[in-house]
Amino acid sequence: MMQLQGLSKAYAGKPAIVDLSLTVHDDEYLTLLGPSGSGKSTLLRLVAGLERPDAGRIFLNGEDLTPRPAHKRGLGFVQQSYALFPHMSVYENVAFGLKNRQENAIVDESLLHRKVQEMLDLVGLAELGGRGVGQISGGQRQRVSLARTLVTEPSICLLDEPLGALDANLRERMTIELRRIRSTLGVTFLHVTGNEAEALAMGDRMIVLDAGRAIQIAPPDSVFNQPETVEVAKYINSYNILSGETRDGEFLHGAANLAMPAGVANAAAYVVRHDAVNVLPPGNQPSDGEAGLEARFIASEFMGSRVLYFFQGLEGEILQVENHLSTADPVTYQSGEVRTLAWNIAEVLAYDGDGRRIKQQLKGAA
Amino acid sequence: MESAATRVEAPPASAAPLQESFFARNRHFLLLAPGVVWMVVFLIIPLLMMVYVSFWTQTTFAIKPDLTVKSWETFFSSDTYLGALLRTLRLWLTVLALTFIIGYPTALFIGQFVRNRTVQTVLLVACVIPFWTSFLIRVLAWRPMLGKEGAINIVLTDLGLITTPIESLLFTELSVVIGMVQIYVVFMVGPIAFMLARIDDALIESARDLGASAWTIFRKIIFPLSLPGVIVGAIFVSVMVLGEFATASALSGRKVNLLGNIILTQVGSLKWAFAAVAGVILTVVMAVVITGLLRVVNLRREL
Repeated sequence: MMQLQGLSKAYAGKPAIVDLSLTVHDDEYLTLLGPSGSGKSTLLRLVAGLERPDAGRIFLNGEDLTPRPAHKRGLGFVQQSYALFPHMSVYENVAFGLKNRQENAIVDESLLHRKVQEMLDLVGLAELGGRGVGQISGGQRQRVSLARTLVTEPSICLLDEPLGALDANLRERMTIELRRIRSTLGVTFLHVTGNEAEALAMGDRMIVLDAGRAIQIAPPDSVFNQPETVEVAKYINSYNILSGETRDGEFLHGAANLAMPAGVANAAAYVVRHDAVNVLPPGNQPSDGEAGLEARFIASEFMGSRVLYFFQGLEGEILQVENHLSTADPVTYQSGEVRTLAWNIAEVLAYDGDGRRIKQQLKGAA
Repeated sequence: MESAATRVEAPPASAAPLQESFFARNRHFLLLAPGVVWMVVFLIIPLLMMVYVSFWTQTTFAIKPDLTVKSWETFFSSDTYLGALLRTLRLWLTVLALTFIIGYPTALFIGQFVRNRTVQTVLLVACVIPFWTSFLIRVLAWRPMLGKEGAINIVLTDLGLITTPIESLLFTELSVVIGMVQIYVVFMVGPIAFMLARIDDALIESARDLGASAWTIFRKIIFPLSLPGVIVGAIFVSVMVLGEFATASALSGRKVNLLGNIILTQVGSLKWAFAAVAGVILTVVMAVVITGLLRVVNLRREL
């Protein structure tokens, strides 16, 4: 178990990590989602010991790691660029840590060979040990980098955007592979990513980082269904976020009055999931228990199993409607056509002026 | 499969594009012509001539194209000339070792510990500043430094470290070594610093993260990756030092004769055949040295 307590780090006066505290459990897959510049790489580098924190401490199983240099922390760090040693073969890369580490290096060649070979087997590179690292594909390099770190049996493995440099097809396969490898070894993964789908799909728990602060730490389904703040809802990239103010139990968004869930007052942001919004047929009005808004159709995007429709509201904001093709056939709208968008009030999330979710409301269908 | 393949009609044998003329197909080789002509006329032919002339008959006042091995015999039976060859090799190895010992740490500092690219460039340019003065001035400036009443002896005497001036500083092999190292060390620093600056920081961070100490990282990662720079630097230094004559004659008072000095004096006294022998030997030595250095690393792969 690793505990981060009040970690802070600033570069040239500009804060990158602000008073961050976090507990990492044993044997878990933790994903860390944040936009670029949110401090997610800095956090990994602080944990790995490649940077020194300005304040705060890092404990591993009760032991203070903070003053220890990187090579004595027993953590693994998989670089985004893989950082394979170009003058060594795949085998030599994987053997590097075991052979050259300062503390309990393995000198017995047969033991070394067995461990390296086992690890190459696990990541599916058993046949490629003798290749140079310039002679293998991007996906294979990723595996070598992972194997090189995991073979040293780190207590926690830190992965900096491990899928970022792979093409889409390979990324999906690697997603499954990473989870398999992790559960086989029972090692904790701390996986940093800027991709919300990746963070949601892979993590047992996820952390959402914004401007150097952890704004939500929860299992992916609760991050997705109940974003703690407006920022989280924004990063999840599945919500329409309308700004405005509350008056007489209704939400004033520009010229529109939107019905609100019962018992919510002082909402400053009104948030509806893309797939909770329906496009009403011409002339229809929202029924009871629904709220609605007029918007102009801009474009649609076919995504295979679903279609995204983009509308522009009267205030200039973009609204997205997502239809799964299993529930509705794709519809063609005229460009510039005005339609009423409607949604069930029970699906609405409301946020106060500080961007925090107003909790007394009950989430309906979900 | 096979029947499908055979059904694809072969183009008629008379197809014009296949029968492009020999010249049209090889036109791009014309790009090489100026360079090839230049190298043949001014490098290959003179080299062959040098080998040829080394077998000519040399008399005191004339040289005749009657073939003989007499000049070769003279070279290998004379202590003076064999001594010059050995001295050249010894001096070359000493200078090579010293430029590496002095140059590598400097390059390591510039390439790995200076993080700012601009500062790196400024420092490398600073290494080249001595070259803004002429070669002769750079070499001769060592005389007032190293002489019996030179700067070094004066400072050491004033500090009370020595009572009588050190005479072996100037007009010895030592002074030649000092002068050459100062002049050529920059050719070692440049290529090594270049290779070191290209090493991705992520590699070093990964090695640290895998548990390696700073010394291990240097031995296993940094040094091997900088080796191509060392070899390029060593080739620069070797080629220049092996052919040296000016530093030796200016700083040794003509006491230290290198192969280059032999060639110069023989040409001066119109002993062309003998100069050619020394020239052939020097060329062979250089070729062997460069081939040897290139075998250490595969430069084609590394650069």
